[in-house]
Amino acid sequence: MLRNLGFFSKISFAWLSLMLFFAIAGPLLPLPDPSEFSDALGAGIFTSGHLLGTDLNGYDLFANIVVGSRNSLFIAIISVGLGSLLGGILGIAAGYLRGKTDYVLTIFFNIFLSIPNLILSLVLIAVLATSPDPTQTVADSRRLVVIIISLTIVIIPILGRITRGSTLAWTNAEFVVAAKSMGMKDLMIIRRHIIPNVLPSIYAVAFLAIGIVIVVEGALSLLGIGVGQGISWGSMLARSQGDLEYAPTSLFVPLTFLALTVIACNQIGDALRQHLDSRESKL
Amino acid sequence: MYKLNQIIQALFKLLLVLIGATFLLALILRLLPGSPADFYTNAFDEQGRQEQIKSLGLDRNVFSSYLHWLFDFVRGDFGPFFMSGGSTRPTSTIIWESVPRSLLIMLYVQILSLLISIPLGLITAYRADKAADRVISTALFTGSAIPGFALALALGYYLGVRLQLLPTLGYVPISEGFGEHLKHLVLPVLSLSIPLCASYARILRSEIISTLRQDFVTMAVSKGISNSRVLVKHVLRPSSTSLITTAALNMGGLIGGTVIIDQIFALGGLGQQITFAVFARQYLALQSYIALIAVAFIIFTVVSDALIGIVDPRTRNRNA
Repeated sequence: MLRNLGFFSKISFAWLSLMLFFAIAGPLLPLPDPSEFSDALGAGIFTSGHLLGTDLNGYDLFANIVVGSRNSLFIAIISVGLGSLLGGILGIAAGYLRGKTDYVLTIFFNIFLSIPNLILSLVLIAVLATSPDPTQTVADSRRLVVIIISLTIVIIPILGRITRGSTLAWTNAEFVVAAKSMGMKDLMIIRRHIIPNVLPSIYAVAFLAIGIVIVVEGALSLLGIGVGQGISWGSMLARSQGDLEYAPTSLFVPLTFLALTVIACNQIGDALRQHLDSRESKL
Repeated sequence: MYKLNQIIQALFKLLLVLIGATFLLALILRLLPGSPADFYTNAFDEQGRQEQIKSLGLDRNVFSSYLHWLFDFVRGDFGPFFMSGGSTRPTSTIIWESVPRSLLIMLYVQILSLLISIPLGLITAYRADKAADRVISTALFTGSAIPGFALALALGYYLGVRLQLLPTLGYVPISEGFGEHLKHLVLPVLSLSIPLCASYARILRSEIISTLRQDFVTMAVSKGISNSRVLVKHVLRPSSTSLITTAALNMGGLIGGTVIIDQIFALGGLGQQITFAVFARQYLALQSYIALIAVAFIIFTVVSDALIGIVDPRTRNRNA
């Protein structure tokens, strides 16, 4: 399938692979310690010893990006994976069973979609990661879990609605009607005929959703309720937002990585969707 | 003709969504660890606390306290906002201050986005798959994928900090000078518009390309009407339905969903108030804010459906 993709999709694919490589093999790379000060404060890019420069505290930016990619991608992939799984199941249920199930599930999706996704995750995190005593903070590991859960909840209705639409279309296809009239069991039809046909559109939207999650994670960090002490691209942004005037690179480096990754995810999701559209119009 | 039955059914569904969304919030907020007294009130003594709890209906179960809030909300009473230190402000005054700002910003963003995206959509569709289309479409794609806060920070740095061209913080009401008002809004409006107009233009482009294949366009061209006239007079109108729907869907999001842009530029719109309410743990006020966004979302959906019926009469008989 990769061969059919255009030039930009190939570049995007390469970029995402590189980011995944950073996330997986990061600690093995010969990089400065991300949490170690150096004498060069706020150095620009391509300074000797610091490929992408340092921030105002002297932390090496490239090392932080590599370590941060782990948190950022980890959060995005897990929450989108869980969200697609649950959203996919609900969407197929709504589209295949129709009637009351569909009515209730559609309203349920719309309820979640009517609250802007950043606000929904903001509220969920505020509620779930709050200790009764305002002076005490919540443990970072719990924060991470809460962030993943709330982003999953944000993703479920997005994926659910798309899957529902696609399932509705395939349920009307002649081969499904034929299978039904031959007495094939519903679960079997879903497994054999619906899921294989619906999956590609889930993949396409899942890539777009990864982009959404990375942006929301960055935004949450900018608002000050990101992954706590852990390093992520969002928390790098939040830390250097105030140093914009003195060390612009410390803001622009994570910003560029974040933006490029989101663009790459969108490009691949978009290419997959176009591929699907042309396949379906040929049917 | 419109079918009254369908409209009523659609409205009923929207109402269900509105009640569901606010009740969902009420439920989530009940999950808070500790008693509501720790979060909602600011009285110093136990007696004052109990009175505040009682007046908000928080001593009852979720359902009846939700109904309590709902009846207040419908009557236009958005509840108190407890400031730290014991003072209290009605949430409605905060709403009166912030919502007009958010609406105005949203209006500027929509106007700018439509002004830029319609010509771009026309050009790219007319020159589909030619060099001009390739270049513009690639740029649009990148534009639609860039996160708004990345643009906000980058534009703020170059135009605001480096070149000192524009102010990067605060909001100036129109009454204090229209020029100054616009100047303060250039950066936020730009950073919200660029991703938006990129996605608008892309939607318009694909719609126009499919309209161009229709018989009435061939007919118009064969009658000798000039290309530009066909595009503007015959093609644009039937191609704009998806654009209207998308624009309407974005309205609700733009009113409150601009949390991060509001925060970066300190505009004091509804988005910033939402963040403030979350951090000040004023969850009842938050519930009212989000209910307002959901109401706006519903109003714009209904208006856009009506607009589509006017713009494209063919849709009137179609099932909603």
